[in-house]
Amino acid sequence: MPEASTSTTPSGLSRRTFLTHTGVAAASLLLLTACPDPETPPLTTPTISLTGGDEGVLNYLYLLERTATELYDKVLANPPADLTAAAADLGVLRDINRHNTIHRELLLLTISANGFTANSNIGGLGFDYSSFTLTTRVGVLAAAQSLADLTVAAYCGAARLLSTPVLLRLYVKMMAVKARHAAAVRDLRTPGSFAGSDVVPQSGADAGLNQVLTPAEVLAELSKYTAPIQLSVGSLPTN
Amino acid sequence: MNLFKIIAELEKVDPEVTDRLNSRRSALAALGDISKKITLASAPAIIGAAFNKTLAQSSGSPLNDVLNYALLLERLEAAFYTQALQATSAPALVASFTANTGLRTSIEKIRDHENAHVALLTAALGPNVAAAPSGFDFSAAFGTINNFLTTAQAFEDLGVRAYKGQAGNISRTAQVAANTSVTVTNAGQSSTVNIGGSNVLQVALQIHATEARHAAYIRYIRRQTAFGGVSQYGWITNAQSNGAPTAVYAASTTASLATDFPAESNLAQGGVADLTTGLTASPAYTAAEVSEAFDEPLDSTTVRGIAGPYIRP
Repeated sequence: MPEASTSTTPSGLSRRTFLTHTGVAAASLLLLTACPDPETPPLTTPTISLTGGDEGVLNYLYLLERTATELYDKVLANPPADLTAAAADLGVLRDINRHNTIHRELLLLTISANGFTANSNIGGLGFDYSSFTLTTRVGVLAAAQSLADLTVAAYCGAARLLSTPVLLRLYVKMMAVKARHAAAVRDLRTPGSFAGSDVVPQSGADAGLNQVLTPAEVLAELSKYTAPIQLSVGSLPTN
Repeated sequence: MNLFKIIAELEKVDPEVTDRLNSRRSALAALGDISKKITLASAPAIIGAAFNKTLAQSSGSPLNDVLNYALLLERLEAAFYTQALQATSAPALVASFTANTGLRTSIEKIRDHENAHVALLTAALGPNVAAAPSGFDFSAAFGTINNFLTTAQAFEDLGVRAYKGQAGNISRTAQVAANTSVTVTNAGQSSTVNIGGSNVLQVALQIHATEARHAAYIRYIRRQTAFGGVSQYGWITNAQSNGAPTAVYAASTTASLATDFPAESNLAQGGVADLTTGLTASPAYTAAEVSEAFDEPLDSTTVRGIAGPYIRP
């Protein structure tokens, strides 16, 4: 449910101020089910917010990995018949899922090895992929493509938010493989679309440059699959 | 005379100096040999000459050096695809493209991207842009479509490694100078746009992602029987070169840099010595899977060494 941020509580405090005062806004997961006044819309926009600094960026990447591995795990556990019939296609998707799972697990290790905290709400987050058609090869590839292109754009947008050189080294090693994944899935779906103009513009200031999305844009897109939980940039660095 | 101290001082102003030298060790060995044959009085001039030679491509600005290095590789790729699509330079390829219009369309798209990268980097460098090489020599790659695709794979995978190798040399706050305009030509239409204020690291990594998309396409199309029937996907398994020069997938040719710039078969990531045993999974991750999951950076000396035979200085 969208939050009506201008509504006020009976005490006259704005909702945002009220949440800040109670400290609840800072909590990573809001599950407020009670409401002090039955006339007031319920204060229920459960939100997962990212923390600041490199910890936030690493958790952001971890979230992206969870998004992808959940999709592929679901598909590969019960692949559509026309996907199973295309052995090479299935091989591509299996490889991608193994790579993404390696990234996901290494990110968890990296988060803890750097003294950061993995956001447990991301670890336990469920995804609703019912908006995709996962019962056909084409539907699976469309779903995989949307998440893969989103991930590459996310990596393009968040590199400059990392402040630790050794983490950037690891980041770019995974990033290129994400771009390879996106191109591979696109070519399976539509041969020759590996760098379509929707993701790599042919003209203008961005000609030849892979699309960039900010964390806010990426999280807004991913929130479509995590309803009712909203994903928020929280304290993530912005530049 | 303390040569280590000299190099350390050079590194303070130019962090890449050891990368630019073949290696600190070989530089010292070379200087050691020279010192046997010369008088002490002439040593400074010879040492100075040695450094001038290795730093000849330096403009004095580390960021401009990185961008000029990227530009050299983009010029190489742009010329490669441009010539491959022209009957005057590559008649055998043009015949293949005529029979495979889907392939031709994709190669044209890649060419357009490389041209856009050249235009962008040239504009970003402004007055600091390096002169283009006198020409390129792709004759060995243009004999057959399979030779062409194999070389294309080498250039794309190498380009991906090269950009990755420079990511740490670009400040995350560096920006393209204000009011920098770039003219991009696409399908005969030219447009001039302002790229002033763009974040340099972000733009470099956007190019890097585009190159990785190209690499995945070229690798996958080589699976087709008509294009060699190579058993590979869009990612690099171990350090398999599949016909491309093995150096493209190997570690830095500078031994002291091989830890930072390992072969594509590297299994050590994020401080874990071997991810096949360092991560728990059932079934366990294989060396092939771990190596595929990470692309490795490569230093500029090694990259220039691989690209050199195609470039006429």
